[in-house]
Amino acid sequence: MSTHRHFLSNCEAAPAARPQSTSSYFSFANKWSTVVLLISGLVAIGAFIWWLNIPFIEDIFTSSAITLTMVLGFQLYMGNSGILNWSYIGYAGIGAFASAIFSMEPAVKTMQIPTMYPFLIKLHLPFSLALIAGALTAMAVAALVAWPLMRLSDSVGAITQFALLIVFNVVLSQWSQVTNGPRTFTLGGLRYTTLWVALGVASVVLAAVFYFKESPVGLKLRATRDDRHAARSSGINLVSTRYIGYITSAFIGGLAGGLFSHYILSITAASFYLHDLFVILSMLVIGGSMSVSGAFFGTLLVTLARQGLRQVELGLTRSGFEASGATEIVLAILMIVFLIWRPNGITGGEELTWNSIRRRLKSFTGRKKQSAKSQQQED
Amino acid sequence: MNKKSFFNVEGLNKSFAGLKAVNDVSMHIETGEILGLIGPNGSGKTTAINIMTGMIKRDSGKITIDEHNIGDMPAYLVPVYGLVRTYQTIRLFKSMTCLENAMMGAIGVGIGRRAASEIAGELLEEVGLGESIGLPAERLTFRDQRLLEIARALAASPKFLLLDEPAAGLNEEETDMLLSLLKTLPGSRNIGILIVDHDMRLIMNLCNRLQVLNYGRTIAEGLPKDVQKNPEVVNAYLGSTAS
Repeated sequence: MSTHRHFLSNCEAAPAARPQSTSSYFSFANKWSTVVLLISGLVAIGAFIWWLNIPFIEDIFTSSAITLTMVLGFQLYMGNSGILNWSYIGYAGIGAFASAIFSMEPAVKTMQIPTMYPFLIKLHLPFSLALIAGALTAMAVAALVAWPLMRLSDSVGAITQFALLIVFNVVLSQWSQVTNGPRTFTLGGLRYTTLWVALGVASVVLAAVFYFKESPVGLKLRATRDDRHAARSSGINLVSTRYIGYITSAFIGGLAGGLFSHYILSITAASFYLHDLFVILSMLVIGGSMSVSGAFFGTLLVTLARQGLRQVELGLTRSGFEASGATEIVLAILMIVFLIWRPNGITGGEELTWNSIRRRLKSFTGRKKQSAKSQQQED
Repeated sequence: MNKKSFFNVEGLNKSFAGLKAVNDVSMHIETGEILGLIGPNGSGKTTAINIMTGMIKRDSGKITIDEHNIGDMPAYLVPVYGLVRTYQTIRLFKSMTCLENAMMGAIGVGIGRRAASEIAGELLEEVGLGESIGLPAERLTFRDQRLLEIARALAASPKFLLLDEPAAGLNEEETDMLLSLLKTLPGSRNIGILIVDHDMRLIMNLCNRLQVLNYGRTIAEGLPKDVQKNPEVVNAYLGSTAS
C-alpha cells in the first residue's frame, strides 16, 4: 500500500484531520469548486496578461491556453482509461487541417493550395462553425477506426495507438489534395484564435472534461482503468465505455488543433507528431494524469519551465556554449524523475478543491504556530 | 410477500486442455436461501462461479435466472439480470473512493448517478464503512476491502449473490462479523446467496443447504448436518489433506 503525500492534500495522511469535515467534504459544491477555482485562475491570469498588453507575453498565454485545451482532451481518455493514447495528437492534426479548410475563403484556397479537391474549395463556414466542424471531423475519424482497438489494454493498446498515429501522420503529410502534402499549409486569413477565444474554449473544455470524469461514463471508464475484471462483473461494457471516452477525447483534440491552426496560421503534418505529443505527455505526467487539476497545473508548470529554460538555453548559446535542445532533455529527465518518484504527478491524482486548500492552509498555519510556540519556549 | 426468483444451473461442463474442471454440475438456488458450495482445493468451485457469471465460456450446460438465459450473455449483462459476484482475491477500483466503488455496482446496472450515490451511501453505512466513504479503496484495511466489495455487489440490487471465499484472510472475530452481516441479507433484501469457502464454522452456521464438489463433480448435497456425515465427503476432504 502506498502512502502518497502531495501538495494539494498534504494532511490526507493524518487521519485525525478527517472526520470533522466529512459532511461538507462530499458536498456537491466542494466537488465542483475545482472547476470554479481552475477557471477563475485561468481567467485571472488571462485578464492580467491582456491588461499588461505585451504582445510577446500575450502570445505565450494564448498558445498555452491552446495547449491546455489539448492536454485536457488527452487527460480525458488517458487519465480515465489508463491507456497511453499516442494517436491523440493525430486527431489534433485532423482538426487543425479540417477546420482550416472549412474556414478559409474559396479564393484563398485556390491560391494557397491549387491541388485541392474542388468540392473542398467550395466549402466555407464562419470561424466558430469551422472550429466545431473540424472537431467533429476528428471525432468522426475516431468513431470509424476506434471500435476494434478498444478491447486492447496495456502495452498492446498503446502500441496499436502508436501504429495509428503513424497512419495519420503519413496521410496528413502526403494527401496533397487536402493538406497540401509535405508543403506548408498556409491559412492566409485573419488570426481568429485570439487570447479571449483560446481562453474561452479552454474554460468550457475544462468544465466539460471535469463533468465527464464525474459522469456515469467517466466513472465507468475509471473503473475499467482500476480493474477490468471487476468492472466487467459490475455490469460495465469495456469496449463501449472506452469508445465513448476515446471519441470524446478526439473531439477535444480536434478542437485544440483547430484553435492552433487559426493561431499559428501555417501548419504542416509535422506540427502534430511525436515532439508535440511528448510535450503534452510531459505536462500530463508531471501534473498528474488522473485529475483535471493535474492537466491544468502540468500545463502551467511545464509552460513556465519551458519558457525559462529556453531563455537559459539562448543565453548559453549566445555566450558561446552550444546548448540547443537542452530544454527538451531537461523536460524528458523531469518526466522520468516524476514517473519514478511521483507517478501521480504533483497533484497526486487529486483535484484542487476548497477543502484541499483549507486543509493545506490550516496545516501551514498550524506549523507556524507550533514553531512560534517552540521559539517562545526557547526564550 | 416478496416475489421468488430462481437461479438454475443444469448440466454444466467445462474442460481445460482435456481436464474436466466442471463435470455435469447442476445447482438450484431460490431467493431467500443460502447455498454453500464446498470441496477440496481444485474441485472446480471458482471455475463454476466464473462460468455462471460469464467470465469464462462453458462447454455445455444451461444457466438461467427465472426465464432469462444468462448463459449466453456477455459478462457485463449478467448483473443486469440480477446476478453479481465477489472475488477471492479482492478486486476493487483502487484509486477511486469507497463511495465511488460502491456506486459502480449501481451504475453498472443502469441506475442514475444521484440514485447510485444514495444507494451506495446507505450500503456503506450498513456494512460499517460510513466513516470511510471519501477514502480511496486502496487505503482500507483488508477486512474493510472485503466489506466494500460486498457493498458494491449489493448496490446492484441483485437477486443472487455469488461469494467466492469471502472469509479468506479474515481472523475469527472478523469472520463472525461477516457471518452476522451475511445472515441477514436473504431476509432483508430477498436475495439468494451462493457461498464458496473453506471456513467450515462459517459455512455450517450460515448455509441452509450444502453442495459438495470433488474433481468437478457433485458428490453430495443436502442439509449441512447430513452432508457433514456423508462418507464420500469425509473421504474427499481427508484424502486431499492426506496427499
